[in-house]
Amino acid sequence: MEVGFIGLGLMGRPMALNLERAGHSLHLWARRAASLQPFEGRDSVKIYADPAQLAAQADVVVTMVADAPDVEALCFGAQGIAAGARPGTVVVDMSTIAPDAARMIGRRLAQQGIDFLDAPVSGGEVGAINAALTIMVGGSSAAFERVLPLFNVMGKAATLIGDSGAGQVAKACNQILTGVGVLAVAEAFNFAQRSGVDAARVREALLGGFAYSKILENHGQRMLDRNFEPGFKAWMHQKDLRIVMDEAHRLGLMLPAAAATAQVFNAVVGSGMGEKDSIAALRVLEKLGKAETSRETSREISS
Amino acid sequence: MKPALGFIGLGTMGRPMAQHLLRAGYEVTVWARRRESAAPVLELGAQWADSPRAVAQGVDTLLTNLTASVDVEQIALGADGALQGLRPGSLHVDFSTIAPDTARRIAQAYAAKQADFVDAPVSGGGGGAQNATLSIMWGGKSALAGRLQPLFACLGKTVVHVGAVGAGQVAKLCNQSAMVATIEACAEAARLAAASGVDFAKVCTALQAGSAGSRVLDVFGARMQRRDFAAGVAARLHHKDYAILMDEAAALGAYHPVSAAVWQQLNRLMASGWGGCDTSVLLRVLENLSGCSEPGVESRSI
Repeated sequence: MEVGFIGLGLMGRPMALNLERAGHSLHLWARRAASLQPFEGRDSVKIYADPAQLAAQADVVVTMVADAPDVEALCFGAQGIAAGARPGTVVVDMSTIAPDAARMIGRRLAQQGIDFLDAPVSGGEVGAINAALTIMVGGSSAAFERVLPLFNVMGKAATLIGDSGAGQVAKACNQILTGVGVLAVAEAFNFAQRSGVDAARVREALLGGFAYSKILENHGQRMLDRNFEPGFKAWMHQKDLRIVMDEAHRLGLMLPAAAATAQVFNAVVGSGMGEKDSIAALRVLEKLGKAETSRETSREISS
Repeated sequence: MKPALGFIGLGTMGRPMAQHLLRAGYEVTVWARRRESAAPVLELGAQWADSPRAVAQGVDTLLTNLTASVDVEQIALGADGALQGLRPGSLHVDFSTIAPDTARRIAQAYAAKQADFVDAPVSGGGGGAQNATLSIMWGGKSALAGRLQPLFACLGKTVVHVGAVGAGQVAKLCNQSAMVATIEACAEAARLAAASGVDFAKVCTALQAGSAGSRVLDVFGARMQRRDFAAGVAARLHHKDYAILMDEAAALGAYHPVSAAVWQQLNRLMASGWGGCDTSVLLRVLENLSGCSEPGVESRSI
């Protein structure tokens, strides 16, 4: 297929490389020339001066960028995707953005006969490199079927969840579960440690029962190893939980656990640990629960 | 010679504020997206201009009171916006509650034209605007205090210069955070009393003289006792401000567990259709969540 790809960062670069290796023709544009370096000199790669010219040559245009305003600017800005794409093109946004932003983008593109899928991913940088991403898709089944061969190259599982926006909703659910899940494991381990009990033994015992989760198994082990290198960066998890909480605000939804978790992630980022794995939440809990021993602080507490 | 004023945003708050200024003898030029909303002030002698830019061109001081950050930014920096009309030495005072960073961004853009921007969010609601008893918390250059004083005197009772541009908005967010968390705390106390078969009115009397006493307990506690949930200030305005507050916490990497929990209660309040009620209706949110009904208790108004 003729595949356009915009957003060649941590995730986008390995995803685009996997597409190229699988034999697809890549049409690229990037804000910074350095991002294009890994692709230069390859026969099946063409580079363009702007997204509009790229879109004119592609059947499918994939975007993988930071946030909704970036996707909107790429689609509808001057010399944007919508300015060049032919009717019948499918735009696939694989960024994680607010569900409502995705729906609005889909509606605007539809006015020009351009199809749109929201297809955010889970699996991190490792998943992108190893083509092992989980892809959650919203949009028409016709567009999904058309793009499925590309999804199967980039990931190990792609699911059409529902209509436009449904992919982002599923991703938001994923972030609620993984965010609250990481905090739950961190709280349990902190509780064990402060109770003078070996958290490793607790984890072993719990793996066999209803407390089992992938997070207890994988992230729990990394907590025990004190290995806080990402993984999945805390600032990205904080960003995704912001999307969740803003959506809850819009919908009038009460999400007490996600709300509490979002605050802990604020604290992770605020303490300068944004580039660490989100399991750095454990360190925040440890800091919050630490017994102060300095005389000054005792004086503050007893006054 | 009084400065020529511009006023954009003639809603629940802006209209009475503009009217006070007109009655104080100021010349006021207005613009509104829908001309009809300007009718009451045009009748009182305000002039009409065709755009924010046109308003700014003809005045020394522009005043605004709008709904959201994007609205203020659009009026200030958008096409045909104030920035294009302001002259060196002009002043824009924004009474809206918006993100601190939006205020700082606008101020920075204005500085290039040697015009000043002051964030001056208010507290006191529609009643405070009508009665000119608003509390005004402002951020901006100290040197502007002299110019601001006569204007603020027409509009409010308590004026505090909090700090640099953006500081007024931060103070307003602190106000909303502290006040609404306390309303929620009062609601939880009311629930505890009711669930225990204890008269909340007697509880409030006992508490008022001690450390738990507060303006919020007096005012909102009384509404909860009487089950009188007529606004006051509409709860949806507090809900709106909480999105700004929590966004700011996220941007700062700040830990606000209580505000986060209160925010969820406000979300539930909105979903229940109570956005037009007084924020004391947080009590009913708790009652619903506790799965309790209050047989024989009539809500005075919802």
